[in-house]
Amino acid sequence: VKVEAAQYGDRRVYSVSAFNRGVADWLSRLPTVWVEGEVTELKRQRAWASVFFTLKDPTDGACLPVSMARGQFDALQLNLAEGERVHVYGRPELFAAKGDFRLRALTVERFGVGDHLAALERLKKKLAAEGIFASERKRALPFLPTTIGLVTGNDAAAKRDVLTTITTRFPPAHVVVAETYVQGPRAAREMIAALRDLCSLGVDVIVLARGGGSFEDLLPFSDEQLVRAVASCPVPIVSAVGHEQDTPLCDLAADVRASTPTAAGRLVVPDLDELTTRLRALRNALERGTRRALERERERTDRLHERLSRAPRLALERKRAAIEQTAGRLRALSPRATLTRGYAIVRAGDALVQSSTQVQPGTLVDVELAEGGFGARVEETR
Amino acid sequence: MTEPTFEQAQRELEQIVERLEHGRAPLDEALALWERGEELYRVCAGRLDAAQAKIEELAKRVEASRPSE
Repeated sequence: VKVEAAQYGDRRVYSVSAFNRGVADWLSRLPTVWVEGEVTELKRQRAWASVFFTLKDPTDGACLPVSMARGQFDALQLNLAEGERVHVYGRPELFAAKGDFRLRALTVERFGVGDHLAALERLKKKLAAEGIFASERKRALPFLPTTIGLVTGNDAAAKRDVLTTITTRFPPAHVVVAETYVQGPRAAREMIAALRDLCSLGVDVIVLARGGGSFEDLLPFSDEQLVRAVASCPVPIVSAVGHEQDTPLCDLAADVRASTPTAAGRLVVPDLDELTTRLRALRNALERGTRRALERERERTDRLHERLSRAPRLALERKRAAIEQTAGRLRALSPRATLTRGYAIVRAGDALVQSSTQVQPGTLVDVELAEGGFGARVEETR
Repeated sequence: MTEPTFEQAQRELEQIVERLEHGRAPLDEALALWERGEELYRVCAGRLDAAQAKIEELAKRVEASRPSE
């Protein structure tokens, strides 16, 4: 395309129309590409030859206007919902009359399960590399939360399950419920806002619950912004969303993952009955222990007292025995005991005869034996 | 002299009993030890009675504060 310019001295000046045509020409030489984004502001009218929508980047909100021939668009029968993720195959284009830049779509493909899976896997790897799912990040749940936040759908069975479990186990529990969309394109944003609101209300634990759903239904729970919000939430979060098969990323980022909403309810509050029973048992054990200690000391003291009462008599008996023994030894040393061994005491007059010089033949002596005695006359001396 | 603790009294009582049971103490001393031992026993038993009374009182108070079931 030849673009005419007017000459003002050494300045080349283009008309708006010429400029737009020129840029449009340049743009038309760019290749046809696939662009991924979320469909918003879809406008379709019978009178228009084209449908218009804006493709939005979910991560940073960057926008790209898209137009597509109405006949082609209708033929696809996509029935796209606001916020739905798509791949658009098209070429950049400048609508010359208005200077509007946009992507001229040749076809639109709904983001399929396979695409979602691939995107999820990429996101999971990226977040894992950042340490968002790391076990060191997990916080312990408070033992007795003062206020529990619950983020759930407005009439969800999940909500009922969590509330019933909590109030059955711990009747005085205080639960603040934040009802949000839990599926569809607005869900992630609303849940992020709900988390923030609950935190500002001062809850000390949050339950994020949804009772299952299809793969697509659970997609908001893998939304990057929501997963980051869960990980960086100032209070611990229990996530009860996933199925057995597919785990939404928010389950991985939460501090504790519960298999069901009921399980989540069990995790956030203790069982009051059980607690009371245990406390009572502990108190009883305390009393029993104290009584046992007292009993032990009493028995020991009583035993000591018994020994003490016996001890003086024992000591006395032992002394008496010692005296008896001494007396025995004394008695053993008396002359009479010697006589029993065959010795005799010889007296002349009153004097004990201890030497033959004390007597001479004819002297009368008195002989004393162990038993009795006799008189005798000395025959000879030696 | 400050009152001995329960453990002190019990320990001394123990020592006295052992000394008496060995029978090495002179008779006069044995009698004195016995007297001292009885005194220590009274101290120990008194402490135990006081502890017992305290336990009963606490148990009664806990019983009273327990919510009726």
